Amino acid sequence: MQASTNNLNQTTITDHLVDRCKKGDVHAFRELYNAYSAAMYNICLRMTGNAADAEDTLQEAFMQIFKNIERLESASSVTAWIKRIVVNHCLSRLRKKKVYFEEVDNIDLVEEQGGIDEDSFAWTVAAIKDAIHILPQGYRTVLNLYIFEEYSHKEIAAMLDISESTVKTQYMRAKDKVRQIVKQKNVIR
Amino acid sequence: MPEKSFEDFIRQHRPDFEEHGPGPGVWAQLEKELRPPKKETIIQQLGRHWLKAAAILVLVVNSVVIYQFLQMKKAQHLENVSPELQDAKMYYTSQIEQRLQDIKAYPASVVGLDSSARKELELRNETYQVLEAELIQNPGNERIKAAMVHYYQLKLDLLDKILDELKEKQPVIQKQSNYEREI
Repeated sequence: MQASTNNLNQTTITDHLVDRCKKGDVHAFRELYNAYSAAMYNICLRMTGNAADAEDTLQEAFMQIFKNIERLESASSVTAWIKRIVVNHCLSRLRKKKVYFEEVDNIDLVEEQGGIDEDSFAWTVAAIKDAIHILPQGYRTVLNLYIFEEYSHKEIAAMLDISESTVKTQYMRAKDKVRQIVKQKNVIR
Repeated sequence: MPEKSFEDFIRQHRPDFEEHGPGPGVWAQLEKELRPPKKETIIQQLGRHWLKAAAILVLVVNSVVIYQFLQMKKAQHLENVSPELQDAKMYYTSQIEQRLQDIKAYPASVVGLDSSARKELELRNETYQVLEAELIQNPGNERIKAAMVHYYQLKLDLLDKILDELKEKQPVIQKQSNYEREI
């Protein structure tokens, strides 16, 4: 009961905030930005791979969000709507940088050998972040969209204009690469 | 520690993958675009461009003064100063202009007047301008009014005499008739 009351309050606040944004209230834009900018910046950072591109992309995306907020039909879907605009801007920036989402596997890895001790292997946040960072851009995009932004294979296929099976294959390969890189680091340590 | 599922590990540690937020420059830039610079008020613009404003003010004041001066001069024209003289002026002016036109119809060699003499024959010569200025300065002065009428009469007489002499020398109409006959 308490939870549903909180949700109701939150919905009312969001409705009110979106209404004010639709009226062009700059203070409301600031509140909306404060609520979402950190999460959206992290999407940009994961997708573009560097802070400067991430900030530029975030700025462009929020400008579009402010200009087009009148088109948002339901305040309840504001999070998904904002996130989609941010992701689209990230993809657009990657396309401008001539990133191909069906690129070939060119990562240079040491061949896995039987000497890796599975017992000593452990995922760490830092190791995964580092591993994702050195993935080819195409793999990184698919992996980020699936595991961090939680889009389905089908949705990712539509976003990147590739087949769903290609998305699945790329994701599996990306995940394998991450595992290999992290394992290598475990062995080197 | 045995290997966990990649997805499981990320879901369990999802908040740890988040970095800090964007720098303050992003919002500053957005705010700049959301709030275009306000137009300066006239007072602010005057403050910034005081020299131009002062120059414009001087020009405006000068224009007003010149306009008022011209209006005053206009009010002092002869018709305003002495309406009764206006009728005489119109009559004599038309008569004098007609005779001047007749004289101009003769060739310069026949008329035999140099440029200074021709200038003196014009209606608004120096004498006329002096009299007119005097009358504007002294609008009620009957002597000046009489002098102006006298000036018109003298000029008309003089022009008539010149025309009589010219007709005796070379009648214009007859010359034209002869010319037409030749054609």
